[in-house]
Amino acid sequence: MSDTIRVVSVLPDLLGTYGDSGNAIVASKRLALRGYQVELINAGLKDGIPSGGDFYFVGGGEDGPQSKAAELLRVDAVVERALESGAGLLAVCAGFQILGESFIGPNLKPQAGIGLFSCRTHRFDGPRSVGELIVEPVGSLAGLPLLTGYENHQGVTELLPGAVPLGGVLVGNGNNFEGRSDGAVLGRAIGTYMHGPVFARNPALCDHFLSLVLGELAPLGAIPLEEAHRALYDERISEVYKP
Amino acid sequence: MSRVALGLNANIAVGLTRVASWAVRSLGAGDGGVLPGRILLRLYPDAITELSRSLPCVIVSGTNAKTTTTALAKEALSGSFEVVSNTTGANMEGGVACALALQAGRSLERSIGVFEVDEAYLPVIAPQLETKVVALLNLSRDQLDRVSETRLTSAKWRAFLEEHPAVKVVANCDDPLVVFAANGSASVLWVSAGLNFVQDARSCPTCGGEIDFSKSRWFCSCGFSRPEPDVEVDGKIISVCGKTVEAELALPGSCNVSNAAMVLGICEVLGVDIDSAARRMSYVAEVAGRYKRVNIDGHSVRMLLSKNPAGWVEVFDMVGNDPSVVVAINAQIADGRDPSWLWDVPFEQLFGREVFASGERAFDLSVRLHYAGISHRVVKDPLEAIRSCRCGEVSFVGNYTSFQALRRQLKNKDQPVLTEIRRLADRILR
Ligand SMILES: [Zn+2]
Repeated sequence: MSDTIRVVSVLPDLLGTYGDSGNAIVASKRLALRGYQVELINAGLKDGIPSGGDFYFVGGGEDGPQSKAAELLRVDAVVERALESGAGLLAVCAGFQILGESFIGPNLKPQAGIGLFSCRTHRFDGPRSVGELIVEPVGSLAGLPLLTGYENHQGVTELLPGAVPLGGVLVGNGNNFEGRSDGAVLGRAIGTYMHGPVFARNPALCDHFLSLVLGELAPLGAIPLEEAHRALYDERISEVYKP
Repeated sequence: MSRVALGLNANIAVGLTRVASWAVRSLGAGDGGVLPGRILLRLYPDAITELSRSLPCVIVSGTNAKTTTTALAKEALSGSFEVVSNTTGANMEGGVACALALQAGRSLERSIGVFEVDEAYLPVIAPQLETKVVALLNLSRDQLDRVSETRLTSAKWRAFLEEHPAVKVVANCDDPLVVFAANGSASVLWVSAGLNFVQDARSCPTCGGEIDFSKSRWFCSCGFSRPEPDVEVDGKIISVCGKTVEAELALPGSCNVSNAAMVLGICEVLGVDIDSAARRMSYVAEVAGRYKRVNIDGHSVRMLLSKNPAGWVEVFDMVGNDPSVVVAINAQIADGRDPSWLWDVPFEQLFGREVFASGERAFDLSVRLHYAGISHRVVKDPLEAIRSCRCGEVSFVGNYTSFQALRRQLKNKDQPVLTEIRRLADRILR
């Protein structure tokens, strides 16, 4: 195995509508600042999805491209096999939906997903879920600070028995209106509805995610980058969350 | 006669709109389109249809360059027509209604309407007008919390064109999502107006496969491909169905030559002489405050507006040699509430300049700039940021509301009370 950490942005040309490619940029830079050699791979439609990556990022996109992405992800089960051999996965919005058991295709019919997360996504007939989202991490992520992001989706995701959400929703909708939960966590795989991008909004979540694969990481200290993160994080929390 | 006869109530509504528009403008509280238009439609919901009777109309729509293209079209057509237009960026129903109210009662002979229309509102507004020509510029991600995703917009445009076969289309053949929509019409003039931001067009709107952009003409294996252009740009030379003209524009950037090409396409469809149209377009030096240089406390500031990743590609072209750049980002309703799109902008291109992160969402921008390796300072107030620039030549780049806010600030430096009046009026109407 080489020493280079391979960060794979999965199909950004299909699932790059909501700026989620920023997550791979944030993760790569935070590794580089800690002295890791990093290769950021933008795995587009014609490149195919490479195996052997250390981190995989799947973002949000429109209905047609989402369904095409699900088709491509099913080929060779690259992401599932990478997870089995120790990689990490972050899936956001449409990316999260296709990694569940089923989601709604562009013809408005349920379509089989990858089946990694135990959840199903239905189409909500009411208004789209759009707006700021504040999530309190639970389970293995409990102890991380509150998470902030921006959701924009028509789907309602139902977690099946045994599935663990990323957190409880304090502001916004997240997975659905009743459960008050957002996303799902399964080992080193994290799914969420938070855009922003979520790692730019929550560097603590990014570092936690990286440590799931690489073990404990040293804090970056009081560098200007971290001060900028702090200012953004504090502003978002104070503007959006009034407990 | 073509003069529009209105009922008493309508006349009162129109009169009120004019007064309101005049008041907003003379108070320096805005361009006088949005608020009076909303009042008018509240009092008189059929205003657009009634006031535009027997006025042939051109509609300009797309994600980017609507305002500029509309302003160029207004100028180009003004040699042949009396032009009624909403040239201030007020491009939803209120803006169109207000522009019509301001000319109501005048004879519409030899008149033409040239309206910029929000891409999501095209299927709503076009049927209310006597729409002759629709110019489709481009489609890319913008304000995703409000406007639906680009593919849906393209499908809605197409449905509109299928239902209105008499409407002629001038369309950018370099943008697959525009071509998909325009293919709903049998009468299209194709303009090669360029595509700045390929990211939103990679997957084929017809079959979902991958579009190949590696050659000069894009194509998909399903057969969907770039139509042969009728209008093409080569440097400053624009050829229109075999005739060529030189575009000597006062507006900066190659993207504006493409906008001029779209306008010459409109002129060709309307039978307007393209030489005189090109000459008239060269007079346009600013568009609703954009592009021009203003003096701000000794700094010569180029005023630029950019609201999304595709628009930024053009901005990098127009910033030119300015050593200082102030970027102001807001996330109000008119901007889109989610500034995640900043991560799709290659800010790395600002390397080597003095950069300020500004606006209500300066912190989002600051984090983005750090990851792009751009050293910068955060000064939330754009005016203060401009004053802090080391150099004389500054480019100011704002998204929609931050740009408008700075313009207002410059206009009424000593009249803060007006901003309050406007805010109050806005709240009452909401
Ligand atoms: Zn195709």
